[in-house]
Amino acid sequence: MKPAAFTYFAPSSLDQAVSLLADHAPEAKPLAGGQSLIPLINFRLAESRYLIDLNRISELSYIREADGTIAIGAMTRQFEAERSELVSRTIPLLTEALRFTGHPTIRHRGTVGGALAHADPAAELPAVAVALGAELVARGPAGTRTIPAGEFFLGPLSTALAPDELLVEVRIPQLPPRAGWAFLELSRRHGDFAIVGVAAVITLAPDGRVERASLALCGAGPKPVRASRAEAALAGASPSQERFREAGEIAAQEIDPDSDLHASAYYRRRVATVLVRRALAEAHRRATEGR
Amino acid sequence: MATQAPARKWIGQSIPRVEDPRLLLGRGEYVTDLVLPGMVHAAILRSPLAHARIASIDASKARSLPGVLAVVTGREIKELTNPMPDFGPDPSKHTWWVLATDKVRYMGEPVAAVVATDRYIAEDACELIEVNYEPLPVVVDPVEAMKPGAPLVHEPLGTNVAYSRTFVFGDVERDFTEAEVVVRDHLRWHRSGAQPLETVGAVAQYNPATGMMTIYCNSVTFTFLLFLVANTLKIPSNKLNLIPCPAGGSFGSKFWAVRVPILAGMLAKLVGRPVKFVEDRIDNITTSDHHGSDRIYDVEMAAMRDGTLRSLRVKVVDDYGAYIQFGVGTHGNSLAQVVGPYKIKSVQYELYAVLTNKCQQGAYRGFGSEVTNWVVERMVDLVARELGMDPVEIRRKNFIQPHEFPYTIPTGNMYDSGNYPGVLEKALQLADYQGLREMQRRAREEGRYVGIGLISAQERSVFSSTEFWFWFDQPTGITSSPESVTLKMDPMGNITATLYSQAFWGQSPETMVAQVVAEEFDIDPSQVSVIYGGSAGGLPATGPGGSRFTIMVAGAIQGAARRIKEKMLKIASHKLEVAPEDLEFAEGKIRVRGTPERAMTLQEVAMLAYLFKLDLPPDIEESGLEADYTFDHPYTTMPAPDRKNLGVFYPFVGHACHIAAVEVDIETGQHTFLKYVAVHDAGTVVNPRSLNGQIIGGVAQGLGTAMYEQYVYSPDGQLLTGSYMDYLIPTAMEVPKVEIGHQETPSPFTPYGIKGAGEGGRMMTPAVVSAAIEDALAPFGVRVNEVPITPEKILRWIEEAQAPRP
Amino acid sequence: MADMHAIRVTVNGLPYEATVESRLLLADFLRDHLGLVGTHLGCEHGVCGACTVILNGRTVRSCLVFAVQADGAQIMTVEGLARDSQFHPLQEAFRDKQGLQCGFCTPGMLMRAYEFLQENPNPTEEEIREAIAGNLCRCTGYQFIVEAIQDAAARMAVASR
Repeated sequence: MKPAAFTYFAPSSLDQAVSLLADHAPEAKPLAGGQSLIPLINFRLAESRYLIDLNRISELSYIREADGTIAIGAMTRQFEAERSELVSRTIPLLTEALRFTGHPTIRHRGTVGGALAHADPAAELPAVAVALGAELVARGPAGTRTIPAGEFFLGPLSTALAPDELLVEVRIPQLPPRAGWAFLELSRRHGDFAIVGVAAVITLAPDGRVERASLALCGAGPKPVRASRAEAALAGASPSQERFREAGEIAAQEIDPDSDLHASAYYRRRVATVLVRRALAEAHRRATEGR
Repeated sequence: MATQAPARKWIGQSIPRVEDPRLLLGRGEYVTDLVLPGMVHAAILRSPLAHARIASIDASKARSLPGVLAVVTGREIKELTNPMPDFGPDPSKHTWWVLATDKVRYMGEPVAAVVATDRYIAEDACELIEVNYEPLPVVVDPVEAMKPGAPLVHEPLGTNVAYSRTFVFGDVERDFTEAEVVVRDHLRWHRSGAQPLETVGAVAQYNPATGMMTIYCNSVTFTFLLFLVANTLKIPSNKLNLIPCPAGGSFGSKFWAVRVPILAGMLAKLVGRPVKFVEDRIDNITTSDHHGSDRIYDVEMAAMRDGTLRSLRVKVVDDYGAYIQFGVGTHGNSLAQVVGPYKIKSVQYELYAVLTNKCQQGAYRGFGSEVTNWVVERMVDLVARELGMDPVEIRRKNFIQPHEFPYTIPTGNMYDSGNYPGVLEKALQLADYQGLREMQRRAREEGRYVGIGLISAQERSVFSSTEFWFWFDQPTGITSSPESVTLKMDPMGNITATLYSQAFWGQSPETMVAQVVAEEFDIDPSQVSVIYGGSAGGLPATGPGGSRFTIMVAGAIQGAARRIKEKMLKIASHKLEVAPEDLEFAEGKIRVRGTPERAMTLQEVAMLAYLFKLDLPPDIEESGLEADYTFDHPYTTMPAPDRKNLGVFYPFVGHACHIAAVEVDIETGQHTFLKYVAVHDAGTVVNPRSLNGQIIGGVAQGLGTAMYEQYVYSPDGQLLTGSYMDYLIPTAMEVPKVEIGHQETPSPFTPYGIKGAGEGGRMMTPAVVSAAIEDALAPFGVRVNEVPITPEKILRWIEEAQAPRP
Repeated sequence: MADMHAIRVTVNGLPYEATVESRLLLADFLRDHLGLVGTHLGCEHGVCGACTVILNGRTVRSCLVFAVQADGAQIMTVEGLARDSQFHPLQEAFRDKQGLQCGFCTPGMLMRAYEFLQENPNPTEEEIREAIAGNLCRCTGYQFIVEAIQDAAARMAVASR
C-alpha cells in the first residue's frame, strides 16, 4: 500500500503557496496535516500530480484575538488549539470538540484548517464552525474572501473553495456571557469519526430564558447540519428537559443522515434526538452554573 | 479435593519473558526486516469484483515499466505451479491456485503478481495491468447459495454445498421425547478475523545451481506436510527449506498460511533473485485465507423441569467463502466440546458447509469451538430463562462432577479432568456475585439497565489430526500431530533447544522451553537458549494451533532430556562409583542422593562426554550430549467406522467461568463495563503472568467479535470493511480491566499436567458479553442471538421486544 | 522522472543526509534507507499506531508523513530509547509487567508512552488508557501495558528525585 508518484512543493510563504496552487490547479492538492489525505494517497484513492505542502508556512500557524473573534491560522495544529488557554477561555466548545478528533498523535499533526477544508461530514470541527457561526478566510490568485461556515460546506469532502484557493484562517466568535456549551458524540470506538455528534451552545437572557441556542450536528447529512428550527423553538423559551427533548425531536427531523456500514439513517436520527437533548441540558447547566 | 502438587522450582514461576528484551529494543527480526543481497519486491493485483470470468489480461504496460522484473498472471500459473495444498472435501472439484486462473471467486482474490526493484514500483505496475472481467452473478448469502439454481462458485462441484452430513450421537429422539422443556433459537455468528498487526510475509531465494529453495517466512507450521508446498512449487521435497521468522501475532491466522511463501518462492525461481512479498493490510483483510467462522444456527435444547439438560439438536450452515482449504475442521473443534461442561446425554449435529463469493475461512483463536461455546451458553441461558432459574443454579445442576473424570461426551471425545464447581465458586467470590446482583437491583430501581452475565465453558487443547477427516467414511487422513525438539548440552553445561515448527509468534516459546528444561535438569533458565530450526533436515513438527504447543513441546523436551540424562548418569555413575539410581540432578549438579557433597557439576560431566570418550565405559557409544525426541499426541483414538463415535481427538480440556457486569444506555445502545472476572483452569500453569496475558488478550479479541468486528460483505460481494477505518479492533478504551483467578486441575495425561490455554479468553467473552447485555435488557425481554452486538442492534432489539405481537 | 529531494534529518541524535523520492513515507525511509527497522508498519493508513515515532518532540504516525516533509527534523525512534545498552525505565517496566507479547505494536506504544509520561508524569489508569487508545495492540488486551506505564511512571519519579 504505497503512494503513487507525485511532484512535491514545499513553499515557505503563503504567497508562494497561492501561486504554486494557481500554476498547478486542478491537478494540485494542498497538503496540510495529512491525517486524512495521506491515507487516501496511500490507498491510491486520491491521486494528485502535485502536492503543495503547507507545513513550512509558519505565517499560517497562530491563534489570536481580534474584534471579539478568535482567529486561528489554518495550519495551527489541532493539539495547539486544544491546549490553547485563549481558546478554552473564549471558545471552550472547540476545546471540547477537539478531544473527540482522532487521537493525540493524530492531533499533533492534524491542523484546524485541514479538518475544515477536508469537509468530512462526520468530522467534529465543521459542526463546531457551523454552530458558532465561524467565518472561513480563503486566499486565491484573486485575493482574499471570507465565507460564512454555513456556506462553506457543500457536501461530502466538498467545500466552497475554488481549486486554486487555500483556506488560510478561521474566525470564530467568542462565546458571549451567560453562554453554556457542550459537544457530545457517539462513535463505535473512542477516537472514531462520529456516528452522530452535536455541538450546542445556549445563551441565557438575564431572566433565565433562552436568549439564543445554536445547534449543529455532524454525521447527520452530507455536510454539517444546522438545526435552525430546533434553535428557533428554543429561542425565548424557558429551559427545561421537556423543551430540550422537543428540540431534539425537531432537530432529528431537520437532519438528513445516510445509512452506512456503522449505522442506519434511522439509528442516526434516533441518537440525534437523544444527543441534542443531552447536549442542551449540559450546555444549560454550564450556562447556569458558570463554566 | 486438595491434591499436593509436586514441588517444582521453575514450572509455575512468572519469570520475565526471555523474548522481551530484543522486542523492547526494536530488534524483533520480523520477516519484513529481512534484507538479502539483490532482493526485489512483489505486490499482487487483487480482483475488484466478487465473481467474474477473466476474459483477458494485458500486462504489457506493466512489464515495460522501468524497474519491473516480471509480471505473472493466472494465465502462466499452471505452468509455474501445481494447485495449492487443499485438505477440503474434494479438492479436484474446487481447485485452488495461487493466482486466479479462469475466474475470480471473491473480491480481493489475487489475479496477478508483480516483481520490481521496490514495492512502490511493484504497486505502480499493478495499476498498469489491464484485466477485462466479465461479471458473473454473485452469491454472498449462504442460505441462498444452498438453493438449486444459485450461481456456482465452483462449477465442477455442481453445488455450493461443499459438505453436508447429519451426525447423531446418543439417543436424541428419546431425550427429546422425554424432555419436559424444549427451547429453540436461531443464532447468528458473523465472520471476523485474527488481524494480527503484522501481516503474512516471506522472503524467498532460489539457487538454480543446487535447485535449493529457501523461504524465510512467518507462517511455518506442519513441517511434516511441507512436501505439499514443494509440490505446489514444482520442486523436490528435499530442496525446500522454510526458515521460520518471528511473527507479529498470529492468533491462528498464520497457521499453515502457505499462499504467501508459495507466491514468493514461485517468483524467486522465476526472476532468479531473492523476492520479498509481504501482504499489506488490504491484502490481509481481503485475501488472508484466514477469515473466522461465519455460522447460522437453528438449535434446540431439551431439558427437564428441574433444570436437567438432556439433549442438543444443532443445525448449522457455515459460510466458508470461495474455498475450503481445511475442510470442516472447525466443526471438529465444535464437536470436541459440543456439550460444554454439562452432562448432556445426546447430540444431533447437522452441518452444511457452503461456498460463497467471499474470502475463505482459516483459523482464528478458537477454530470454531468459540462459536459452539457461545451457542451452548446462549441455549443454557434460554433454558434457565424458560424455567425461571438463576444462571448459576442451572450450571451447578448440570456440571460434570470432579469424580466423573475422565469423562466421555456423546461425540466420543474425552474430557481428561476438571473441577467445574470449584472454578464457578472462585469466580462467584472474585466477582462478589451477590454484591453485583444487589447493585443491579438498586440500579433498576433508579431506572438504569445493569446486566450480569455468567458463563462456564470449555477450552479444549491439543488436537489430533483425526478431526480433519472423520467427516468421511473412508479414513483419508493423518492420525498424529507430533512435535519435536533437539536438546543439546554443550561442554560448558549450557543447553540449546531446537524447535522445528515455528518461530516466536507472540506466545512465549523460549520462556516456556527455558522453564521446562530448567525444571528437567534443575538448572537456571538463563542457561537455556532456543534455536528455531529450518524445515530442511528438521524433525516432524506441527507448530502452534489448537493450544497444543506448550504441552507438545514440554513432552518432546521431557523425552529428549530423559535420553541426555540417562547418558549423563552413566558417566557420573562411572566417575563417582555410585549406581545411577542413587544419583540425582539437583542445583546444576549430579549428586549422590543423601550425600549431596559427593557430586559432579553438569559441566564436568558434559566435558567428559564431549572430549574424553576413551575415559568412559564402553557402553557409552558416542561422544557428545545430544538427543532428538518426537512427541506424538499423548491420547488419541480412532473414530468408529460408523462415525457414531468420533474417538478421542481433543482430550485436554480446560475450563473457565467468566462473569461480566455491564450497563446499557437504552437511549443510544452504548454500553459500559462495570466488572469483568475470568477464572480459568488450565491444569498446571507454567508461567502465570504469561498465561494471564493470553487470557486478557483473548478477552479483548472476544470482545471484538462480540461487539465491534465483522467482515461485512455487500450483496454484490464487496468487502465493506476493507481497512482499519471500518474493521474495528477494540482500543484500550473499549477493553475492560479483567480480574483473573486460577484453579489448577492437572491433566493426568500430559507432561506436568499442563493443559493448553492460548485461546480461552476469546472462547468465553462473546458468550458472557451476550449474556450480560441480555440480562441488562431483561426488563424488555430482549433475546441476544447475534454477534457482533452493536448499539444499533440493541436499540432494534428493544423496539422489537416492545412491539405488540400479532 | 522521479521527483527527488535532498533531505537532512537527525535520528536518535545522529545526522543523516539522503536523496528521497517525494512519495517515500517516513516509515519506509527509517526502515529501508536508515535500517532502523524497529519502527513497524501495521496498517499504512494511520489507524494502528505501530509506526509511531517522535518528530520534533511530538508523536506522529510515520506512515502519514512523507520523508521529504521531515527535512531538517529531529526524530526519535524506539532505537533511541535505550542508552548505552541500558534499558529506559519504560522498557524495564514493560519487561517486568509483560506489557507486550508479539512485540509488533511495542515500539509505537513505547514512543507514545514516552511522550505521554513527559506530559503527565503521574497518570491514572483511565488517563493512560485514553493516551494509548490510538495505538492498537492485538495481543495483550492492553492491561499489562497500562500497568507497565504506571510502573514506569513510578520508576521515573524515583529516578528524577
